Amino acid sequence: MREWLFFLLAILLCNGSLFSQNKELLYDFTEIPQAILLNPGMNTSFSWYAGIPLTSGIYGQAGTSGVTVHSLFANDGLDINDKIRDRALNGMTKRDEFGATIQIDLLHGGYRSKKNPKHFYSFGVYFESNTILYWPQDLAYLGFDGNADQLGRRFDLGHLKTRGEGLTVFHFGLNKEIDRKLTVGARAKVYSGIYDFHSSTNTGYFVTNEGQNNLLSNTLVADMQIRTSGFEEIRAILDDEISGSVPNVITKRALLGGDLGLGVDLGFTYNLNQRTVITASLLDLGFVYHSGDVKGYSLQGSATTEGVEVILPDALSDPNADFWQDLVDEIEASLPFEDTYNSYITFRPTQLYGSIRYNFGEPMNGDMDCDCDIGVTGADTRFQYRNAVGGQLHMVNRPRGPQAALTAFYLRRVGNFLALKTTYTVDKFSMTNIGLGVNFQAGPVNLYAMANNLLGYQNLADSHYASFQIGLNILSWGTNR
Amino acid sequence: MKKLLFISLLFLLGLSSCVEEQNFNQWDDLEIIPTVEASILYVESPESVINDAPGAVWYIQTFNFDAFNEDFFAENVLDGVIVYELENTTSKDLEIIFEYLDDAGNVLDTETFTIPSAPTAVIRRETTYGTPTGRSMDIIRNTSEIRVNASNFGDTTSTSTLPDPKIIFRSSGKFRLQLK
Repeated sequence: MREWLFFLLAILLCNGSLFSQNKELLYDFTEIPQAILLNPGMNTSFSWYAGIPLTSGIYGQAGTSGVTVHSLFANDGLDINDKIRDRALNGMTKRDEFGATIQIDLLHGGYRSKKNPKHFYSFGVYFESNTILYWPQDLAYLGFDGNADQLGRRFDLGHLKTRGEGLTVFHFGLNKEIDRKLTVGARAKVYSGIYDFHSSTNTGYFVTNEGQNNLLSNTLVADMQIRTSGFEEIRAILDDEISGSVPNVITKRALLGGDLGLGVDLGFTYNLNQRTVITASLLDLGFVYHSGDVKGYSLQGSATTEGVEVILPDALSDPNADFWQDLVDEIEASLPFEDTYNSYITFRPTQLYGSIRYNFGEPMNGDMDCDCDIGVTGADTRFQYRNAVGGQLHMVNRPRGPQAALTAFYLRRVGNFLALKTTYTVDKFSMTNIGLGVNFQAGPVNLYAMANNLLGYQNLADSHYASFQIGLNILSWGTNR
Repeated sequence: MKKLLFISLLFLLGLSSCVEEQNFNQWDDLEIIPTVEASILYVESPESVINDAPGAVWYIQTFNFDAFNEDFFAENVLDGVIVYELENTTSKDLEIIFEYLDDAGNVLDTETFTIPSAPTAVIRRETTYGTPTGRSMDIIRNTSEIRVNASNFGDTTSTSTLPDPKIIFRSSGKFRLQLK
């Protein structure tokens, strides 16, 4: 049992405790191959690239819109019970969230078609996990304070909202330059779910009122459900109920032996003119069908109790009646807590990106013929400029509705070997999120590193949000002819 | 090249993070102690039942009551109070004895109520457990049955002139639980 709890804890901690998945630094950073994962229709100028397995893209992100580690555990001499009450219980609402995302490229490559250089193909496999937990405000109050002396207060069970998943994604994308202005792209994805849990459609309440007969009545109205997939077999192994090894189970589920799903990414880049570019992409429009190792728990119904009730003379008819057990049975019948084993579908957290970019300054290849510009075809007149500014929008679908972030960015290219991008992002986690990304190109070796919310790094424990991304690729530019 | 060095340095500085000292041992000091309350037992009897009883003890019943000795409750309860309320609209003086019994049927605690005949005020009593001046919390932890013993100190013929005369016994408990 201990191992099982440890496993659950490890998943939660590995997923971190917050997130929004916005990769504002990487988006439309066209020098970096992994940017094509955020917009399959981005402008590409690679002949081919090959990510170094396991290191071509490592991404981590964590955030909290409520309390930070520092706000609770700072060595400030304050009583932690006061800090919890002031900053968590009284300081957060049901809309505050904790979340985290991890994404690791296991394999990633791309190549330009020799037959048709307007076509660029990309493919790969990556692992992704993400978790989100909304602050269960009313349940937290109930847990810390209880129900005493709070007649009529309804504790909303709908405040319990969480979901998390771990899966590998096999993808293949086509990027096509339609004409000198427009590039479009699409990517097909096959999801192989390793684990999943979610509980996001709960409703109901718990309330204590003056009783009709007795002093108090407690009422629970619940329509709650948590569904899981991928945990039972691991739990059984850890509890020695079945033979097997956890790594084998995880590996099998990661390699298309788990819950399968399908998805698609779509995107485009459109050059309004030589300097102004708009882009947009829709990512993870898909689903996963959970059927292999599912287990759920449901609590549905309603019950009101005023304790054991004995009303004479009716109660005299059965002198051996067990009033307590009758009460328990009655509540369990009205409010059954049941295990469920039904398959279910989850929809991926679909993301939307959009951007507008204005390029300015000296063209990087302005003194060259059109054949030598950033484009890959003779008709292409798209130049890379030394500078670019613009804005980006990111939206992601969350259990409590879409979550948005707005970004302003500045991109600077230094020679042919260095590009820098800095961003300022506003979202529910932070109003002071400044990020910086750098891309080095040393011959065929491409190395990039990015981090945002840099101001938060002054005291990471007090940061509401942090993310980083690093990667290493080998690539070649040009037409691949 | 200087520019590049400067920018690289800036980037590295940006990434060099600091973490102020945290004291995670504070977690040990965190206390989660909710106070929960719920009704326990309700007994209601019309005066006719008392009149029909053959002797003075017109009702005696032992109830199985496992709420207090459930592991979760028994292991975490710190202290609490039980509230009793009796309302007598019959024409008789009555006595209600409320007893807490353990698994073996031993009496752990007793509450005795003597209620004059109507008209009389509602009797309300609060008994605390687990506090320095209260009774032992072990009484509550070890209770698995409750016995109600009701006696009639009056006659068995009269009937109160009040509408729907009856004796009503109400009770509820309010307890603090230490979850952490």
